[in-house]
Amino acid sequence: MGMTFREYLAGSRIFGCQKCRTHLATIELMLSRAFTGQHGRAYLFDHVVNITIGEQSERQMTTGRHIVRDIHCIKCNTLLGWKYDHAYEESQKYKENKFILERNLLCDVQ
Amino acid sequence: MKLSELEHAPASATASLHNGHGDGAVVATNGHASSSRGAPAGSHLHNTPLFDSSTIDRHEFVRLMIQALRDTGYPESAASLEAESGYALEAPHVAAFRRAVLDGAWDDAVGTLEHIGLADAEDLRATRFLLSQQKYLELLEQQEVAPALLVLRGELAPYSIDQEKLHSLSSLMMCASAHDLRERAKWDGAAGTSRRRLLQHVQTYIPASVMLPPRRLPALLEQARAHQRRQCLYHTRNVTISLLEDHVCSRADFPVLTTHILAEHEDEVWHVQWSHDGRSLASASKDRNAIIWSIGPETGPAERECNVDKVLRDHDSPVTALAWSLDDSILLTSSEMVIKMWNAKTGVCIRELKKHDEPVSSLVYLPDGAGFVSGGMDRKIIIWDNDGSIRDAWPLAPIRVCDLTVSPDGNRLVAVGLLRSSESATGSNSSLPLGAAGSNGVGNTQPTPATSPKRKIVVYDLKTRQELNVIEVIGELTSVRVSRDSRYAIINHAPDEVHLWDLQSGRLARKFTGQRQGQHIIRSCFGGDEDSFVLSGSEDGNVYVWHRDTGVLLEVLAGHGEGSVNSVGWNPREPALFASCSDDHTIRIWEAPPPGIPDFDRERERERERIRALVAASEDIDGLTIGTGGKGKGRSA
Repeated sequence: MGMTFREYLAGSRIFGCQKCRTHLATIELMLSRAFTGQHGRAYLFDHVVNITIGEQSERQMTTGRHIVRDIHCIKCNTLLGWKYDHAYEESQKYKENKFILERNLLCDVQ
Repeated sequence: MKLSELEHAPASATASLHNGHGDGAVVATNGHASSSRGAPAGSHLHNTPLFDSSTIDRHEFVRLMIQALRDTGYPESAASLEAESGYALEAPHVAAFRRAVLDGAWDDAVGTLEHIGLADAEDLRATRFLLSQQKYLELLEQQEVAPALLVLRGELAPYSIDQEKLHSLSSLMMCASAHDLRERAKWDGAAGTSRRRLLQHVQTYIPASVMLPPRRLPALLEQARAHQRRQCLYHTRNVTISLLEDHVCSRADFPVLTTHILAEHEDEVWHVQWSHDGRSLASASKDRNAIIWSIGPETGPAERECNVDKVLRDHDSPVTALAWSLDDSILLTSSEMVIKMWNAKTGVCIRELKKHDEPVSSLVYLPDGAGFVSGGMDRKIIIWDNDGSIRDAWPLAPIRVCDLTVSPDGNRLVAVGLLRSSESATGSNSSLPLGAAGSNGVGNTQPTPATSPKRKIVVYDLKTRQELNVIEVIGELTSVRVSRDSRYAIINHAPDEVHLWDLQSGRLARKFTGQRQGQHIIRSCFGGDEDSFVLSGSEDGNVYVWHRDTGVLLEVLAGHGEGSVNSVGWNPREPALFASCSDDHTIRIWEAPPPGIPDFDRERERERERIRALVAASEDIDGLTIGTGGKGKGRSA
């Protein structure tokens, strides 16, 4: 759907895809470091750019059942984490429409 | 004003003798009093309108004709007209003054100047100074130092109000020779054009009603022609505009019809670029190929052959930028961070240039053919030699370059793009992207302009790499082109605008609106022989065409399918042919409809009717507009 350049972010610290260095998020957009993914520590972000979003799937997490979608790097297609669409438990609602990126798949970029 | 336009060719100098001297009857009846031989045949027309409802002054009109007859080599007809009309081109003392100046009879000139009646004392002083200055220089030229000194002390000093000027004039006393004098005074001597120049200069202090500016009627006609040229919204024909009828190019001569659809790409087509000879069109596609199309020279759309010439494969990613070398032997393509250099004749890739760290957004050859420029999202601007070696890697630009171009005069490089990251790291939301978030499927985030990254236009001096001008704007900038005269840049600006910037003044000259642009890289171009048009792609699938100098939206051309029209390119050689490319995988060639298509033939006839009606309705207005126009080169922009 038309030509676009990838997004380039501005911030004091910019996280990119470790494989291809595509900009994904900034430290200012980070909400929490206290998450765990398949590869260890993971971060919760308010907003992430340059990703494609997969199909909905229901997963049982340590904090309960959620409807999530996998997210991939728009350039190299690496699976980077997931997006929360829906949390069944009231205490977990804050995650809805937020994004998880796995720390081990990120790198600092400029 | 050019020398060639200076007053009175040699023949007319003698002609001006007629002006009051030659024919006693003319002098006696010079609009003042009737002579013993009776009034001229035409004098009863004095003070009557030229025609019914005409606002043109009869006296002025006849004087213009007399001057024009004289200037064009018909002095006898001019004299007859003077005699019949009872109007003189100019009063006898004006002719005498002119004669005196051209003959270098300075005392006579000063004497007749009194009679011309300069109302303003300051004008009189300035005129006296100019006359004395010429007299002084001519004396010096003849090595008559003592009389020159007298002029300096007795005339120039009292009439001068500029001490510096006076000093520089007096320093000319020291000149060793006439040649030296002419050099230092930047003056071409009594035998040169200096007396005519003086006359022209003096003329600026004398009312035109007293002394007509030189070649006034041709000057007015040139203005009329320029005016018609500017008013012609669909001007595509590079023709000499006849004075005998109003000029107009019909819409039916404008490229509004798709004559060819080039369908070979297997995905969205993002960019098109014409070769300099206008016979090849390069296209860049998301399908990771570039194609060189040969576009035949045949003039009839039905006969014109448009074929795939070469398919340039082996790009790892979509192709985004294109540039033809000046001789069209090389085509450059870019795909992600890689620039490829192709032999356009054989379709063989000659070189791969990998010096950018982020996608290359723009490629352009230098106007002198010495190499080319690339710009990228890595903020790099690199000047390359033709062999693909780096000649000059510029310091990182203050923006990620979304597009750049070089002005045809080779003086300026104009880049557009996003503000450098660290400069806008202010608040937690400062980095939210504009627009494209939605296209990536990220969500409904709609950042307000205040939180979106800033965009900039940076104008560089190409030779010194200095930033001449940095203009900060809000909204995405996706394309920049510079007009052939190197003065204007058109820049696509999301949302929904194309901006015309005056590079000389650094000001926004005009906005063109109507097209849709929010998220995608949409590009525009100039069109027409004199860049009279601005064309742009649009996310609504249409091609938009505006008249550059008025901003009028001329055409919204439909035809492309679903998605954006991404880029447009006006053929550099054909008067009315352009190409557009779209998400619908195709390229369209647009041309003027050939004769014989009933709809357009009817349109041609309607156009003629419309013009006839306009002419009939607006004769007075035309007369006024033409007469009061500027120098003929003025533009509304």
